[in-house]
Amino acid sequence: MSEAAPQADLLRTEEVAKRYGSVVALRSASLAVAPGEIHALLGANGAGKSTLVKILAGVVGADAGKVAVHGAPVELRRPLDALGAGLGTVFQDPALVPDLSVEQNFRLTGVPAERVLGWLARMEVEVPDLDRLVKHLPLPILRLLDLARALAHEPELLMLDEITAALPGDYVETVFGVMREWRAEGRSVLFITHRLGEVLEVCDRATVLRDGADVATLTPSEGDEHTLVEAMLGEGAPTRTQGAREPDPEARGPVVLEARELAARDVLKGCSLELRAGEILGVVGLEGQGQERLFDVLSGDRPFDGGELRVEGQRVKPRSPFDMIRRGVVLVPADRLHALLPQRSLRENLASALYNRVRRWLTPVRGERSAVAQTVERLEIDTRAQRQVRRLSGGNQQKVAVGRWLAAGFRTLLCFDPTRGIDIGTKEQLYRLLRELADDGAAILYYASEFTEAPVICDRILVVYDGAVIAELDPAEADEATLLNAAHGLEEHAT
Amino acid sequence: MSVDSEPQAPQQAEQGDAGAAFGVTARLRLLIAERPILVLLVVLALLIALTGAIEPRYLSLRGLRNTLLLAAPMGIMAAGQTVLMLTRGIDLSVAMVATAAAYVVGFQAGAGVGTALLLGLLTGAALGAVNGIGVGVFRVHPLIMTLAMSSILLGLFSQWAQTVLLGATSVDPFVRLLGAGAFLGNLLPYNTLVWAGVAVVLIVGLRSSGLGRMIYALGDNPVATRLAGVREWQVLIVVYALSGFFAALAGVLIAGQTGAVDLRLAQEFLLPSIAAAVIGGTSLFGGMGSYSGTILGALILSVLNTMMVFLNAPQALRQVVFGGIVIALAWLYAAATRDR
Amino acid sequence: MTTATDERATSPATTPGARLQRWLRRHGWTIGVWLLLLAFILWYATLIPAFGEFQIASIARNSLPTVYLALAQSVVVIAGGIDLGIGALMVLANSASALLMEDQSFAMTLVIAVGVVLGAAFLNALVGLVIAVSEIPDVVVTLGMLFVYSGLALLVLPSPGGGTSPGLRFLFTGSETGVGTNYWMPILMLALPTALLAWWMTRSRRGLSLYAIGSDLGAAYLSGVSIRRAKVVSYAVAGGFAGLAGIALTTLANSGDPRFINALNALLASLAAVVLGGIVLGGGVGSVVGAVAAGIILFTLNPILTAMGIDPNTTQVVRGVLIVLVMMVAGLLEWRRRRAE
Repeated sequence: MSEAAPQADLLRTEEVAKRYGSVVALRSASLAVAPGEIHALLGANGAGKSTLVKILAGVVGADAGKVAVHGAPVELRRPLDALGAGLGTVFQDPALVPDLSVEQNFRLTGVPAERVLGWLARMEVEVPDLDRLVKHLPLPILRLLDLARALAHEPELLMLDEITAALPGDYVETVFGVMREWRAEGRSVLFITHRLGEVLEVCDRATVLRDGADVATLTPSEGDEHTLVEAMLGEGAPTRTQGAREPDPEARGPVVLEARELAARDVLKGCSLELRAGEILGVVGLEGQGQERLFDVLSGDRPFDGGELRVEGQRVKPRSPFDMIRRGVVLVPADRLHALLPQRSLRENLASALYNRVRRWLTPVRGERSAVAQTVERLEIDTRAQRQVRRLSGGNQQKVAVGRWLAAGFRTLLCFDPTRGIDIGTKEQLYRLLRELADDGAAILYYASEFTEAPVICDRILVVYDGAVIAELDPAEADEATLLNAAHGLEEHAT
Repeated sequence: MSVDSEPQAPQQAEQGDAGAAFGVTARLRLLIAERPILVLLVVLALLIALTGAIEPRYLSLRGLRNTLLLAAPMGIMAAGQTVLMLTRGIDLSVAMVATAAAYVVGFQAGAGVGTALLLGLLTGAALGAVNGIGVGVFRVHPLIMTLAMSSILLGLFSQWAQTVLLGATSVDPFVRLLGAGAFLGNLLPYNTLVWAGVAVVLIVGLRSSGLGRMIYALGDNPVATRLAGVREWQVLIVVYALSGFFAALAGVLIAGQTGAVDLRLAQEFLLPSIAAAVIGGTSLFGGMGSYSGTILGALILSVLNTMMVFLNAPQALRQVVFGGIVIALAWLYAAATRDR
Repeated sequence: MTTATDERATSPATTPGARLQRWLRRHGWTIGVWLLLLAFILWYATLIPAFGEFQIASIARNSLPTVYLALAQSVVVIAGGIDLGIGALMVLANSASALLMEDQSFAMTLVIAVGVVLGAAFLNALVGLVIAVSEIPDVVVTLGMLFVYSGLALLVLPSPGGGTSPGLRFLFTGSETGVGTNYWMPILMLALPTALLAWWMTRSRRGLSLYAIGSDLGAAYLSGVSIRRAKVVSYAVAGGFAGLAGIALTTLANSGDPRFINALNALLASLAAVVLGGIVLGGGVGSVVGAVAAGIILFTLNPILTAMGIDPNTTQVVRGVLIVLVMMVAGLLEWRRRRAE
């Protein structure tokens, strides 16, 4: 791992650790980046990559561990400290203030506009109108502005946290060009991405994080994806066989939820799907293709302005989630925090969907206790910290998010990325639960941000791209490469 | 038993905290966070002792009665404020709503005291419901909505004070008895009896009715509550109406105490109604707190008030002190419960 | 690649027509509020027999306190906070200045005025500091301050009284007696602080940092903004303007009035002016220039209603009802926009 002599390292971290309250984000991460290399930082969701980058950028303070630049220890207490040490960062989320214009943002950070514009010109990117508000600019442009702004500081080490996730292909090449240029000048790049192909294409070495600790530093080469994936996922990587079942079209029930050409602002542009009772319908897509809005609209939380929505054949135009819940359509939202009452007890959380009708307000619903007890048992929720659910672990919190609908009852379950950041054991438990529910006749719409996940548990897979469903795949044929291609909207134009 | 990838083991964290009460501050923090009622009781006892030291006559059954007499309307008004704060709301119109109810009771005196009381309380609830509609349906900021309500009522009464309401300033003997009288050998004020009723209903209701659950839920996480199918406006209209009702009840009791209704009848109760809830540990940002804390808060404020009267402190100074207490205690609670 | 080219359509829009269009769209609300103000004044002009310099002067000088307070509240709200103590701070400044300035020379009153403004800024900076350090919500701290400030005002000046110098009255009202037809002075006193504040908020790095923390705390932090410092600055500036409002009040009435109800009414007016002026509660969006027009509108309602033959107490009722109605429409629109956005 550290064959290179220590003094030769541009950046070196040793056993960096960080916890947020009771959640451990990083246990012990060690990393060495040599001068003149493009170094990939890999890991599954929740492995601690972004936390490490934030520590190196001076945005959050580490609880323990050392960071050294060119062998000299550095204290990173503020973003300015990191810039001073030659560490420049492009964060996962745009670091531009949305309500200010581009020019005002430059002024705010004190970066000379010419330098940033110069970099944009070098990347051959059309320069946006500086008077426009940042919130009105398209995301790819913002990412490149962030990059240009980081470059304007001329950092020794350029850290790019998932910059390519929101970029179309030609811009990805532009970014790669910049990275190679940086390497050619003897400076380095720390590159975070979920796309293994990109790692193989541009990276010299890769450090893999798992559960908040570094597990390997590898030299990726052609055809090495499997080694990387194994390192990232560890022993219990989900495989096709696990939840697989023979697709049996006969067993599927009637269409319970139907969307026809749903449109919402410029996010959803004519999205159609049919969800049947007894099936788990998967949805995959790259970040920001409208999938989140799709789930919000289907759950009644946000309006749509075109197309139609039918539940069990009836047209509905929901004004609030209640209008869908009353028809049996319930949502497990992307963000666990949107499903929990963090300061309240486990019991109150699980019972929280029982009281959404005024007539149940004066007394607790009879059977609350048994409904809660059954849910706890069925989901095997750890009840040791039940006084406040914010003290439960991530996996148990996710179970509560699903559990409140088990207690209240439903017919159609919309699950948005329920396994994000939870462990393999809980994941498999959820898979089993969802399959049982489907077998009992429930309809389940399931979005998975991990492309490896959808084929494992879904009966059919829909691909969303640019606000519409563009393809339906059979899970048996949907390997990661196929899904990625489809998710990039490439299928129609494939050679 | 599942094994979590985030090796945080909450139960360990809890034990760790309990066992790691190394210093006095850590112990105190834990105590405030876990047993606020206990801490408040101690503070109340200390304050009573201190007041007794300043004025020995206070430590008598009469002194105690006077404390209850002042605390009851405060605590009842704070009941509405507590329920609202649990949903992240606040009501700055309670003083004017209380005055409104007192006027209505006086104005309707001819219809019999029972009818008059009923109308007064309904007026309070209705005014509260209007606040609730503004906040819940039209999403007006609660501060603006209730401030505007207060301003509108003040304008109305200023205008009517010399005309319509001239005859409405007297107080029915029954209301006087309710507001200022006492029984059990003149020891236990009737208004405390009313307060006890309010307390029982509220404590039980918040803990074990569906509405109580939704009040806590809405304050703790409005998004999760909406996604659970709760229509926020329904809860908000009910809680603002409740606040108006409690304010009206308090207004009637205050009128009974002062013996006459005027524009500034309840003005001095606005701050204590908020302060009592804050002292009692109810977060202005919802989800945490209980009415039992507020009861102690009202008692503490009442004793504090008496103490400052003994010290000849002007009303203005009391206002400064109460305002400061709100800030200091909010800070203390925030520090005690943070990151746990 | 066929990746959506429209995503990149950032069209630098160099044509003057397009630029003007965008400028109009971005400042649409502000322009609208000013047009509304114009309409109100025109309406007022038709209601009374003779509309002239006297009325202009009267509107300009009598709206000074509301406008200063609207500016104060704007700064805090843009920075993502809310200051419930602002009206009470104005009352405190009013009471203290009236007490100190009584029977003093012009020079002395000027010194006192500067001292009161700086003192108010300092006091409110402390409030901002408490909020920044304790991390308890703005509402809690400033609600406490509402009572602390108004209690202090009553301690300073137990009942209405005090005075100021004719010179200072001229400076704010354009007249040594508080009545007259000189409208240049009050208009200057309206325009100058507004222009300075607007320039500072949108051009200087510090001013932009207030927009930044109100708009997106995370992005602001990543942009190197010191969150605490920006918070303290926002409250300090607001405090200064509240002090100015208090002094304007002293020069208008030639006395101080410490009553609590004044603090509440002023607070309501400042919040209403901010929302009507197009500044979003929550922060980051809006311009102080819009709040100024809204502040003047709120004052202008009084003479309009009086001209319509409505007595002052009803005026207060009508004003309150109008504020509620406007807030309801604004609240509903904002909520629908955010839901669909």
